[in-house]
Amino acid sequence: MGGYVDNIKKAQITEQISVQVYQNPAYQSYTTEELRKLIEQKVALEIKRLGLDKPFIRFDSLYGFFHSRAFMYLINALTLSLGRSEHIYSSSGSKQVWLIIKERLPYSVLLFTTASLLVFFASLYVALILSRRYGSIWDRLSVALAPLSTAPSWFYGIILILIFAAILRLLPFGGLVDIPPPENRIMYALSVLKHMVLPLLGWFISGIFVGVYSWRTFFLIYSSEDYVEMARAKGVPGRLLERRYILRPTLPTIITSFALMLIAAWMGAIITESVFNWPGLGSLYMAAISQFDTPIIVGLTVIYAYLLGVTVFILDIVYAIVDPRIKVGGGTAA
Amino acid sequence: MEPLLKVEGLKLYFRTTKGIVQAVDGVGFELMPRTAMVVVGESGCGKTSLARAILRLLPKNVHTYSGKIYLDGQDVMQLNDEQFRRQIRWQKISYVAQAAMNALNPVIKVGFQVAEPLLIHKRMKREEAMRRVVEAFQIVGVPTDFVDRYPFELSGGMRQRVVIAMALVTNPQLVILDEPTSALDVLTQANIMNSLKGIKQEFDLTYILITHDISTSSELALEAMVMYAGQIVELGKAGHFYLEPLHPYSQKLMSSVPTLREDKELDFIPGQPPSLINPPKGCRFAPRCPKRFSACDQEPPMVEYKDGRKIKCHLYA
Repeated sequence: MGGYVDNIKKAQITEQISVQVYQNPAYQSYTTEELRKLIEQKVALEIKRLGLDKPFIRFDSLYGFFHSRAFMYLINALTLSLGRSEHIYSSSGSKQVWLIIKERLPYSVLLFTTASLLVFFASLYVALILSRRYGSIWDRLSVALAPLSTAPSWFYGIILILIFAAILRLLPFGGLVDIPPPENRIMYALSVLKHMVLPLLGWFISGIFVGVYSWRTFFLIYSSEDYVEMARAKGVPGRLLERRYILRPTLPTIITSFALMLIAAWMGAIITESVFNWPGLGSLYMAAISQFDTPIIVGLTVIYAYLLGVTVFILDIVYAIVDPRIKVGGGTAA
Repeated sequence: MEPLLKVEGLKLYFRTTKGIVQAVDGVGFELMPRTAMVVVGESGCGKTSLARAILRLLPKNVHTYSGKIYLDGQDVMQLNDEQFRRQIRWQKISYVAQAAMNALNPVIKVGFQVAEPLLIHKRMKREEAMRRVVEAFQIVGVPTDFVDRYPFELSGGMRQRVVIAMALVTNPQLVILDEPTSALDVLTQANIMNSLKGIKQEFDLTYILITHDISTSSELALEAMVMYAGQIVELGKAGHFYLEPLHPYSQKLMSSVPTLREDKELDFIPGQPPSLINPPKGCRFAPRCPKRFSACDQEPPMVEYKDGRKIKCHLYA
């Protein structure tokens, strides 16, 4: 056994098994001594089953390292055998980590893909307009407002809940759908939409200011390139100039930012989902952390890591498509 | 004959944190069709700003942009930005930017970039425009199969030629060349200068050639303008200027140019060009001028010399 978390886990297991044993009518005829022995055996078995009898990590010998729990988690993670959770169940009653994650993923994807798309395209659009009007009142205002994004989305979420749910009673406090859920599919969708408004708004407010600010600066830098100036001299009209001479050369950066933002969004937001009681991966993360459910935490992390790896790999191929300066393979240079 | 370009009292001031920069301060000149004017002066004297002011390529921190510019008799300062874009840019004036190495969009094929003004201003079909591009490439000496290449696949000299082809493709009347050869090796410089000379004669073009390379520019120049601290100090026929510069600054400038046949000691101008923020009162060259006298703390008038040259100096008043 290892650190303090292991002690907590061990105490949890002992308590759980004691309660089970004492409440089981089959053991009513046992003496206290026999019960104590039975509990001890069952606890030892459970500890062995969870692998808690092995040290968490060891570096004293190669053998020790290969037989530590960390190595076991690592191998399981790499081979995507996410195994079974320790405490958390899926709503269908399964303890398979895959199933639990699969059940939660769509809700996170729904909420945060929408939110991220909104923030991304809104900030890109506003930033382009502002970069055209460098130094104007709106531009200076956007710079001044940028620090508003230092407050996280759940902070704005709480305020929004206070205003729109508690005081005005226009929108629900949280959750996915009304209770009881509407039978009609369209009504169901509308109900989900209604529950999405406040988390979306919170996410949007906390993301938009810094998004606008950073893209505006980005576009300002690239709109002073010589070839942009030249295109302007050529009489390329404004919109076309932006598309062909600012957005097009910076497409790899924009795509990268977009892809990484999207997969980060799929993994949900831990506190925002908890604040809004949204049944996505974020609140699953929260539950897993508070219950020391290692397989779930490892599972979520590993899926994100694989998603990141695959995305970066795909991005490398996309770069070669959108930027002629990058070539695939060792093609002869012209 | 009517001048092609007439500029009067052109001012272009920039706003900076240290104050107002008077980059172009009351410049006026006339340019006849089919001539070539060379604009010389030290770095930072306002040559490039003058080109940008004529093309209305203004940076974001403009403080003052005023004066009169007549092109072919038309008062272009009256046009709004959209009219200026449609009627003037690449229709009548084209531009070869300084640092043409970076004047091409890195992710678009050079052929398309050269064709772009035709597509925008002449509403040409793409195939037709590409045929014109091939012609333009032949004129400036770029292999015609380069149309499908990207800028990074071209050498510096080739890129420069592509930018020149881009400036010629719509048959504008006036081409402003801002140091078209400054980043190139001497052989390529000479090559490009020769091409420019041939093109000018062939297509009846008018050039404004901005340079600090006085010797190379003499190949092309018919008129000469010397700028100092945002103002014109000497303006006239290039032949007169190259043989016998009148303004003390022009004289110093010419004596700093090495020549092959003459045996002369190269001269330099002591001191620094003045800051264009709060430039000195009176003659702006006075602090560095070897011939200064009491009158020089007054603003010198523009004096017409007997050969028709205009000199901004008290010596000729």
